[in-house]
Amino acid sequence: MDDHDHSHPHPAAADEAPPGYYEIMETAIRELLIEKKLIAPGEIRRQIEVLDSRTPALGAKVVARAWVDPGFRARLLTNGRAACEELGISFYDDTQLIVLENTDKVHNLIVCTLCSCYPRPVLGLPPDWYKARPYRARAVREPRKVLSEFGTEIPEDVEIRVSDSTAIQRYLVLPQRPAGTEDFTEEQLAAMVTRDAMIGVVKVNLEHRIDS
Amino acid sequence: MSQTEHLLKTLPNDIGGLPADRIERIDHELEPWEKRCHALADVLDFHKIISTEEKRRGVESLGAELIGKLTYYERWVVAFANILFQKGILTPEELAKKMDEVERRQAE
Repeated sequence: MDDHDHSHPHPAAADEAPPGYYEIMETAIRELLIEKKLIAPGEIRRQIEVLDSRTPALGAKVVARAWVDPGFRARLLTNGRAACEELGISFYDDTQLIVLENTDKVHNLIVCTLCSCYPRPVLGLPPDWYKARPYRARAVREPRKVLSEFGTEIPEDVEIRVSDSTAIQRYLVLPQRPAGTEDFTEEQLAAMVTRDAMIGVVKVNLEHRIDS
Repeated sequence: MSQTEHLLKTLPNDIGGLPADRIERIDHELEPWEKRCHALADVLDFHKIISTEEKRRGVESLGAELIGKLTYYERWVVAFANILFQKGILTPEELAKKMDEVERRQAE
C-alpha cells in the first residue's frame, strides 16, 4: 500500500468538527421521514426561516401598540393571540397567548417549570437561562430573590404573580410604560422594550432606549 | 416525606419549587443542527406525528441520568427516535443503518 494512500477517511479540518452522534441522528431521522413521505423536503428549511423571522422585536411592537392604543390594549388582554394576529404576527403552532399586564400593584413573571414553553411566535426562541434548572426551579418559589439576581427590585407592597406555561398555553408580560415617554413615537417606545422585560425579569426603563 | 415518596411524586422534569443554584444569565447561538432539530420538532407537531406534549413526555421518559447528561437538543432528538419507534414509524434497525450511511457520507 502506498504510504500516501490513506484507507481511512481524512479527519475534518480543525475548525470544522465532524458531526457528532446526535447531529447524525437528527439528519438520519429527518431523511427517513422524508423518504417515507411523512414530511416534505422543504418543510424543515421553511420552518427554519420562520424561526429566524421571530425575534423580540415583534413582541416589542405589540407592547408599544398596547401603550399607545387603549382599544388594542383591551383586545390584547382579552385574547393575546387574536390581537397579535391583528398586527400581522402569525401563530405557526396551536398555542394560545395570555398577555399579563404589569401595574403599580402587580408584577408578572413567566416561567416553564417543566421544560421550556415560551411565546415563540412573538419572542423567538428562549434564552438558555430560561430553559436551565435554576430559573425553572426557583421562579415559582422565590420570585423576589430571582428578580433581584436580574437586578430587579420589586417593592414589598407590589404583588408578584408567576405564570407557569404549558405546551398549549403561553404567556407574555405587558410591561409598564416608563414615565417621561409621553412624547415618544410608537417606534421609539418599541425600541425600549427588551425580551427580558416581556418575560418579566426586568422593567422597561429609559436607559434601554436604542437611539437611532 | 420519604426519599422514595419524593421520587414517586416528581418526575425528572418536574423541578418547579426545588432548591437550585443562583441564576446565571447564560445563552448561546444555536448550532445549525440544533436549529434544524427545533424546526423538525415544529414540523412533527404540525403533522401530528409527535405533539409538543408527547415530545416533553418523551424527554421525561429518558430518566434523570440521561436528562442530566444530554444537552437540550440532544434530549429532543433521542426522544424523537424513541417515540417514532414506539409508534412503529421507524425501527431501531433502519435508524442505525441510516445513521451509518449519514456518517459515511459526511466523512467523505
